[in-house]
Amino acid sequence: MGAKITPRYWLLITILCTFPRYLYAADDWGDDAWGEEEKQGTAIHGFIETAVGDRVSDDTLVDDALSLAEVRARLEAETYQGALRLSGKVDLYADGVERGFDIYLREAVAEFSLTDNVDVRAGHQVLTWGTGDLLFLNDLFAKDWVSFFSGRDDEYLKAPSSSIKVSAYGETANIDFVWTPVFNSDNFISGERFSYFSPQTGTQVAAPSGKIVPDEPSETFSHGEFSARIYGRSHLLGRSSTEWALYGYRGFWKQPNGINSNNQAYFSPLTSLGASLRTNVASGIGHTELAWYNSVDDDGSNPLIPNSQIRFLMGYEQELVPKLTLGVQYYFEHILDYDALSAHDGGSIYRPDEHRELWTMRLSYRALQDNLTFNWFSFYSPTDQDYYHRPSVKYRFNDQVNLTLGGNVFGGKQKQTFFGQFEDASNLYARLRWSY
Amino acid sequence: MSKFIGIKSLLIVMAVSALNTVYATELTDANAIVSKANLVAYYAGNDGRSEARMLITDAQGREQKRQFTILRRDREEGGEQDFLVVFSRPSDVRNTVFLVAKKPGGDDDRWLYLPGLDLVKRISAGDKRTSFVGSHYFYEDVSGRSITEDSHQLLETSDKYYVIENKPLDPNSAEFSRYIAWINKASFLPEKIEYQDENDKVYRRVEVLASEVIQGHETVTKSQVSDLRSGGTTTLAFRFQHYDLGMDQAVFSERSLRKPPREWLQRGE
Repeated sequence: MGAKITPRYWLLITILCTFPRYLYAADDWGDDAWGEEEKQGTAIHGFIETAVGDRVSDDTLVDDALSLAEVRARLEAETYQGALRLSGKVDLYADGVERGFDIYLREAVAEFSLTDNVDVRAGHQVLTWGTGDLLFLNDLFAKDWVSFFSGRDDEYLKAPSSSIKVSAYGETANIDFVWTPVFNSDNFISGERFSYFSPQTGTQVAAPSGKIVPDEPSETFSHGEFSARIYGRSHLLGRSSTEWALYGYRGFWKQPNGINSNNQAYFSPLTSLGASLRTNVASGIGHTELAWYNSVDDDGSNPLIPNSQIRFLMGYEQELVPKLTLGVQYYFEHILDYDALSAHDGGSIYRPDEHRELWTMRLSYRALQDNLTFNWFSFYSPTDQDYYHRPSVKYRFNDQVNLTLGGNVFGGKQKQTFFGQFEDASNLYARLRWSY
Repeated sequence: MSKFIGIKSLLIVMAVSALNTVYATELTDANAIVSKANLVAYYAGNDGRSEARMLITDAQGREQKRQFTILRRDREEGGEQDFLVVFSRPSDVRNTVFLVAKKPGGDDDRWLYLPGLDLVKRISAGDKRTSFVGSHYFYEDVSGRSITEDSHQLLETSDKYYVIENKPLDPNSAEFSRYIAWINKASFLPEKIEYQDENDKVYRRVEVLASEVIQGHETVTKSQVSDLRSGGTTTLAFRFQHYDLGMDQAVFSERSLRKPPREWLQRGE
């Protein structure tokens, strides 16, 4: 984390060694380039990116006006040893907000087939499933909300975890089973880059005093995470294939929203079951997903542990006119055993509503031969009366260089709601990336 | 005697028509010509693989490149088929995979895999006539436009070509008011297609620049699309094409999106 000399040299050496070579390689389009990857054995790629983000208004609790200030060098390598695929992705970055150099391992996986119908993917990897667009019900793999809020590339929203994924493929259904031996929480808003609302104090808080340092589950087998998905395609609606899936999870809430007897935040046990459908509807895509979150240690009466919930999502996306696409989603969270909660929390004024609804909208437009893309994603909750807008514009100068400008704009009527608490985190950012 | 003549003329007629079938019968039914051209252009063999490279040039001469491998398998000749497109260049689209279940007369099923997010995204069937990965080709140029979406009329039969006019049955379904296709009489390869707007002005042209016979199938090895309004062009070169590899239907599934089928993507011998 700290500013050590070694990573700084690594970064410099990497940049100096890789740049000239790949500047040349990037322009090579001779006839023999058809065979390049095959001959090379290992494919080396990556990018260098510089990003700056600035708060729209001051957050008096956080020293830094900048929400993002970094130079990042990504190195990706991929090779095959027979049928075994090895892939690694690592970022070296200088972070002006957290003031230091850091190494971030994005991926380190080995992939192979056990039998004709069974694949294994083991190692540090990004995992995603489910049907929501920036809404996750049955996808309980780790998210990086700090990256998402600060304007890093969308890719960083999905945080990697050290897991083993076994996939079995059948005629009518497939099964994915993921074991994450050591619990991997979200990179949640801890008070370090962005402040948050604390229901305990009834105020907005930030690091150092308000920094959330949760108690992590011990590293035992039973405290690992187990995720499963059974899925397939069938022709339920006409000729279009409908994707169906059933999901299960056993682990912990991904955010430290329980308080233990030492008055410390912790990740309370969670199991979940769910299902989803996705298919062509009219000239667009419709999807729906359901999840039942069972908060294992709570019958609803313990206000220090989140109650069980039902989460539901439905959405539709369609091209309105060529190159302009609109997506709309409706989502709700329904707290179960609400009466027990309200009877035991001492009439807390910050008790969440029994029913939280959320609408999202995505508007995307492509222009200039797809080199210019506009994206506007908004969350709006009519029950919390808060919102989160994510506009962005990306211009691709060529195959190597692109520039992204965007914003993360939060607001709401009340200071304690999901998005309302991040009003002072609102920021505008710019990212310039050079890929090789 | 008259009976003998009758049989003889019948034999002659039969011989002539047999010759015609083998050699240069001039087809006159536009639907039959288009249907045959469709099979030649998009259904060669039961399956096929090809590596492809695009050079996208805009009006200012700025260039972009795409490199990918296409796998295809026909479920039925002239009917449903599946495509898997795996990108290897440039690095920001590397390992992106595109899967299409083409359903002539219905909505295609289409998926995109984004490796950075491990995300399998379903894409709506609506935007088939928009840019394929930033090139001047449309998605529909790559997987083929269903011949049942247009009416076809034979305008002219020259020494070398059948010239066919095609008009969309639903004028709102496409940006053109009609397109003219020059279909090679010998190979049935559509060698040139010109798209016209509502003022009969040609604004888009797709041409075959080179082709060769591979495993008995006339195969395009280089083509070009010109956007005559913007002045941009994309050339598309194909290499390492093979047909009838014996691919299984399972190659075209979510498994291949997350783990591209190396067995078929590799060049082989």
